[in-house]
Amino acid sequence: MSELDDLIDFKTGRQKRVIYSDPDIYEQELEKIFARSWLFVAHECQIKEPGDFIRTFMGEDEVLVVRQKDDSVKAFLNTCTHRGNRLCKADHGNSKTFVCNYHGWGFGTDGALNGVPLEKEAYYNKLDKGKFGLIEVAQIKNYKGLIFATFDEEAPSLEEYLGEMKWYLDVWLDAMPEGTELIGTAMKVELPVNWKLPVENVSGDGYHLGWAHAGAMSVTTSMSVGGLEVGNTGTDNDGAVSVAGLNGHTVLAALDGQSGYGFYPDPKIAVDYLQANRKTVVDRLGEFRGTKMWGSQINMTVFPNLQMLPGLNWFRIYHPKGPGKFEMWTWAMVDKEMSDDLKQMILDNVSRTFGPAGLFDNDDGDNLQAITEQSHGWRTRQMDVYTNMAIGAEHSREEMPGVISDGLVCEQNQRYVYRRWLEMMKADSWDDIPQYNSLEEARATEAK
Amino acid sequence: MIQAPDDIYLALQRQLYYEARILSAAQYDEWLAMLADNINYAMEMPQRRFKEDRTPDRAPRKTPIFDDDMAALKMRIARFNTGFVWAENPINAIRHIVSSVEVFETDDTNQFSVYSIIEVHRSRLDAERKRLTAGRQDIWQKTGSEFKLLTRTATLDDGVVLDSNINFFF
Ligand code: FES
Ligand SMILES: [Fe+2]
Repeated sequence: MSELDDLIDFKTGRQKRVIYSDPDIYEQELEKIFARSWLFVAHECQIKEPGDFIRTFMGEDEVLVVRQKDDSVKAFLNTCTHRGNRLCKADHGNSKTFVCNYHGWGFGTDGALNGVPLEKEAYYNKLDKGKFGLIEVAQIKNYKGLIFATFDEEAPSLEEYLGEMKWYLDVWLDAMPEGTELIGTAMKVELPVNWKLPVENVSGDGYHLGWAHAGAMSVTTSMSVGGLEVGNTGTDNDGAVSVAGLNGHTVLAALDGQSGYGFYPDPKIAVDYLQANRKTVVDRLGEFRGTKMWGSQINMTVFPNLQMLPGLNWFRIYHPKGPGKFEMWTWAMVDKEMSDDLKQMILDNVSRTFGPAGLFDNDDGDNLQAITEQSHGWRTRQMDVYTNMAIGAEHSREEMPGVISDGLVCEQNQRYVYRRWLEMMKADSWDDIPQYNSLEEARATEAK
Repeated sequence: MIQAPDDIYLALQRQLYYEARILSAAQYDEWLAMLADNINYAMEMPQRRFKEDRTPDRAPRKTPIFDDDMAALKMRIARFNTGFVWAENPINAIRHIVSSVEVFETDDTNQFSVYSIIEVHRSRLDAERKRLTAGRQDIWQKTGSEFKLLTRTATLDDGVVLDSNINFFF
């Protein structure tokens, strides 16, 4: 048993608090998790035309994602190959070239080094420019509009990495023929919190909703969401599921076909939209996903740091900035076919519920910050925290893939997120990282 | 732009100081009373873009941090009043500092355009201190001897919001 094994106990739902504060563990996370995983870098709608770019992060590494002249997409480290200056300071835009502010080296949108000031006089024309192009990511791939990249040549294909999570992602990404788009720009907030805490929270923590968000719930809720009630006085275990065991990805889903819009004070035009398009979606995704899932409140987590909530319509990525800090970027994501009015209502509601001044989001920061701080002390960092709710309730269901537990109030998903975390932290290569997409496979690959 | 007469300037400056004090004290009923019924209270998420960006017309639509009418502001205040907003209990000490006030006339003789800078200091748990700054551009409507806030457009200075909640108003 390695030291790492002591940090997580999947069976009993226990984590050592030190994982939220230790700088060495964080360094290993950058190497073992962020440098190997497929990370979301851009939605294709953000970079439509050649030269369109967006500046983002993969772990702590800054990257530029750029639409090429041939319509393909490349992603480069946003750093000059000469002396290492940051190349581009804008959040997004369109450029023909990227010129470094320090000595003026100029790079094409394809990453090639094209211009070197004083190339003849100072380098005597001996600089091999072909060797100093921008550094590209190892792999980049689009899944139904979402562009992912990885620094790892050896990483499995994106399709394999996502596994059966694709079946759930399609409930949003492939429900309507035109697909999705992000509207507005990223709402960015810096929080003094370990990056895993928001991930585990949104992956499976329906428990905190009725209590931590009691104030927000009582002023916004316009229809039942998995039976959750203000003050943690009710939940509906039959009308909702927690799904995990999908290569570390998770889903939390109500199964009523409309509660995604339950936190809109006046959801009428959204509910009309669902009604008008239900048949199209059933034709594309089948009866179960079309009627039970499309329109429902769903939390989707793509390990390690991407989360999206159809209905509430937010789309979010977390960029780690050290063991005790991350940046959270939130967008509104919509179906392209939605009317302009509906899109605007959704953008306003995303901002009002989960933006920097969001009625819900403003409840979470202090709790997650406090957990981070309560993992720092000499004594507290030796202590444990628990995700031991509904142990043994796991089962499988014919109509959907993955490991299922009933209800939104259930800590199964967090256990599986930490299981994946441990699997990646321990593995020397991808050969050692198990792939599993069902209860059977999850059991067969469980560490002894 | 034409400077407003001194009496108007003084009256509006007084109004802004009074507003700052009641916002710091979270006396939201008094604040609501100084807003016009058709208020628009807005703050946008800042973006960093190149000056020479060739595609301003293709820029994504504006992304609000606030874009509130009276109903939305009342919803925010109703949340504070539920007693369930744990982050504000104990209260976080907060100071609204208003400065650089300028008042100009507009085409409507009863409306005045008011520029100011707002600096919000919050003392959170233990030694934690947050400081947020924004420029504000307001339209205040004069009815009789009273002024009501008709629109406020606040411009936040940071490209990344540096506090984990905005449980207050600018
Ligand atoms: S560091 Fe970029 S040109 Fe020298
Ligand atoms: Fe939350």
